[in-house]
Amino acid sequence: MDELTREFLIESQEGLDRMERCLTDLEERPQDAGLIGEIFRSVHTIKGTTGFLGFKRLEKLAHAGENLLGLLREGRLTADRSIITGLLQLLDGLRSILKLIEAEGAEGQGEDAALIAQLEQLQAPAQAPVRQHAQARAGAQRAPAPPPVSQTKPPAHPLPEPAEATPAVQASADAGPVRPRIQGSAAESTLRVDVTLLNRMMNLVGELVLTRNQVLQATAADPNLTLLSRRLDMVTADLRESVMKARMQPVSNIFSKMPRIVRDLSQSLGRRVRLQFEGQDTELDKSLLEAIKDPLTHAVRNSLDHGIEPPEERKAASKDPEGTLMLRAAQEGSHVIIEVSDDGAGIAVDKVRQKAIERGLITADRAAHLAERELLQLIFLPGFSTAAAVTNVSGRGVGMDVVRTNVEKIGGKVEIDSRTGKGTTLRLRIPLTLAIIPALIVRSVNQSFALPQGALSELVHIPPEQAAAAIEWIEDAPLYRLRGKLLPLVFLHRLLMPGTEHRLTTERDNFIAVLDADGRRFGLVVDGLADPEEIVVKPLSAVLKTIGLYSGATVLGNADLALILDPGSIAIKAGITMSAEEEAARNGGAEEEAEAAKSIEYLLVEAAGRRAAVPLADVLRIEQLPASRIEYIGYRPVLNFEGQLLPVEDSGGVLAEVQGNPEAQIIVVVCREGNRHVGIAVSHVLDVAAGGDLFEAGTDLRTGGVTLLKSRVTGVVDLGAVPPLPAEEITQNEWNQVPETVA
Amino acid sequence: MSTAPPPLHRKEKIAAALAEMCSVRVGNALFGIPITHILEIVGSARPQPVPLAPAFVGGLVHYRGDVLTTVSLRQLLGLPPQNGPQDILVLESSGGCFGLLVDSVGEVLTVSSADHEPNPSILDERRRSLFAGAYKLKDSLLVMLDPERLDPMRLGAAPVA
Repeated sequence: MDELTREFLIESQEGLDRMERCLTDLEERPQDAGLIGEIFRSVHTIKGTTGFLGFKRLEKLAHAGENLLGLLREGRLTADRSIITGLLQLLDGLRSILKLIEAEGAEGQGEDAALIAQLEQLQAPAQAPVRQHAQARAGAQRAPAPPPVSQTKPPAHPLPEPAEATPAVQASADAGPVRPRIQGSAAESTLRVDVTLLNRMMNLVGELVLTRNQVLQATAADPNLTLLSRRLDMVTADLRESVMKARMQPVSNIFSKMPRIVRDLSQSLGRRVRLQFEGQDTELDKSLLEAIKDPLTHAVRNSLDHGIEPPEERKAASKDPEGTLMLRAAQEGSHVIIEVSDDGAGIAVDKVRQKAIERGLITADRAAHLAERELLQLIFLPGFSTAAAVTNVSGRGVGMDVVRTNVEKIGGKVEIDSRTGKGTTLRLRIPLTLAIIPALIVRSVNQSFALPQGALSELVHIPPEQAAAAIEWIEDAPLYRLRGKLLPLVFLHRLLMPGTEHRLTTERDNFIAVLDADGRRFGLVVDGLADPEEIVVKPLSAVLKTIGLYSGATVLGNADLALILDPGSIAIKAGITMSAEEEAARNGGAEEEAEAAKSIEYLLVEAAGRRAAVPLADVLRIEQLPASRIEYIGYRPVLNFEGQLLPVEDSGGVLAEVQGNPEAQIIVVVCREGNRHVGIAVSHVLDVAAGGDLFEAGTDLRTGGVTLLKSRVTGVVDLGAVPPLPAEEITQNEWNQVPETVA
Repeated sequence: MSTAPPPLHRKEKIAAALAEMCSVRVGNALFGIPITHILEIVGSARPQPVPLAPAFVGGLVHYRGDVLTTVSLRQLLGLPPQNGPQDILVLESSGGCFGLLVDSVGEVLTVSSADHEPNPSILDERRRSLFAGAYKLKDSLLVMLDPERLDPMRLGAAPVA
């Protein structure tokens, strides 16, 4: 394909993307001359260039569309629903021809006569004699009102128009390339760069990072070079960040596809839906953005099909007949959170339980012990679908497990929250970039391997003297008792070199990495641990990919190569299934298992002599640091944690205890609380244990704020009670006040 | 009319038939690879072994920001593994780049197609599938290797014992 055609394809696709956005907006504001003009220009440019390049079929179709758009532009027609539908079909038609040209270099032999006839049909009212023309005007009034009317009574318009009615919102809202105005000015300062070139740059930067690491090691002893190598260090870090940034694209690139999908679906399903966006300028690596497009589309479809009820049903439930679908993106540390939430019917937990039992995904006995939240996660299991009827929109039984698989493939996580009658929120946690991931370096068969931290839940250290008794056996299957539950073990060295012994060695330390891969939980026994590292993922050749154990390779800081282990494949190779774990657990004592499933796990900490419990699910990290790292805003202790300010709760008086001794080490437990993070100052972390419920004597009222931990009543730290920092409060409000309304 | 063209014709033929081959040594044998297929020669490397990989895979090496799969020529020929560093030829084939592990890389030889002979019929199956004939040198043979046939993808598809 020649340069000219390629450029034409890129330009046309951009034009059509713009057209799509404008069309969904046009439905809201059929009189907006700016929108019509923009759409007209897109189609006109395509027509003009195709004539020049000799794509006759494309030209004919674009021409038919241009005629219709011309009438709209002159005000002789009003963009009612049928015209917009026609234009959307035109858009699809043009796209499919462009796709053909891209794939085969020719526009194919397809027939567009039907579409062209339809587009001509739509022009009919305007071309007919005056009498009919008046009728057409009258007909058009059924749809949105003509200009004079809408100008005299703007408040009657069903929806706010963010672009014009509320300029303040427009200014502070996302600066994503949604509005053509913004794009126009940005075009002058931007440049189109080939993705392969960006990939190459990323590779070279990875190389530079490595060379830097080696230079740093080599020059460590030479004071004359220290300054220089430190400069090199800084410049390399900056360069890496810039190149990574160059690969970033705003999520608005995929969010902007949603209005069309929502429009089409809500029409075919008879729903009324308002689509809202938040955080559209949040950026994500291009390849990741591509990867979450399908899961996100699926989630939106699900929300419309199963979530938001038909208008009558909503009215009956005294809700706004128009449902709200909110797409929200935000960066949280090294992850981007994307939420799809609706205010629909929510997920009926009982139905989920019933269905899961029916489908044999879980036993009735076990289901009875699961908490509501855990039951909800069952919808991610393969072969699960709660839709009463199979519709052509969703509910083919391939739903949420595909979403989960796709998201986990790129190292992300999916969670679901739902309240019956209130709505459902699907949360995708996506790593910022695929190219660089945090990993733990482990040793086995005298080699280093990288274990992605996304799958790692904890590490168990078994000293040599305990090695003999630490493992229990059922026949030939090694098991480790982890807090009362039996964990199947996989010996990495035995997996890599079949036929070798699988025993723990009594000569040195043993380590078990507890992994959770797609719900398969197992312990991987490794010979040794090295430091965690941010690794640059390099693809493997096809011949090594087929081995199945490795997802890539990487070059470590010491210039060694390391293979990246794929926990999911290891689990499959070792024959670990989800049911096998359950079975093993049942062998180990069903009661214990049920007890553990029902209760919440807590991190048991000690703060200045007193014991307290923190819900383990909320714990993000445990940091040991010198007391001098704690700073104060007024009287409030804060911690500068990875560039962000973390409010530190010190109800136990740990900080007071070490005051005047800046050398003293303290421990800060970093926890998640809603959308923010808070730190808890403690003196020791004691253990992790399942908490038991406590009931007040003579009642069956569960007592709040305390739990039974290791047979002792222990207070639970109330994370919600940690007051936010003043600055945090302001940003929180901003978040909530300026959602950008689009649909 | 019939006398003028021949010299020109002959000269052309000679120019087309001369080719440059990089010679490599494995064990006692000398092999040749067209230099047009060689991207780079990496001296004394120690590839990182890949557990569970097919036997012909000599390991991984770090090459210009990429991780390169190498093919061990020793292993392919059924020779015992050599301890110590080996040289790597970075080859380009239709499937991408890969490394070829050899004992040592020698000089570049210019050979003429007139000296080329196809694989002899007494060669075993495996060698016949790897070799692309040989050039007769003054006092030895230069056995030709075809990079396409050494591509790990191809070797992986048709398992070599």
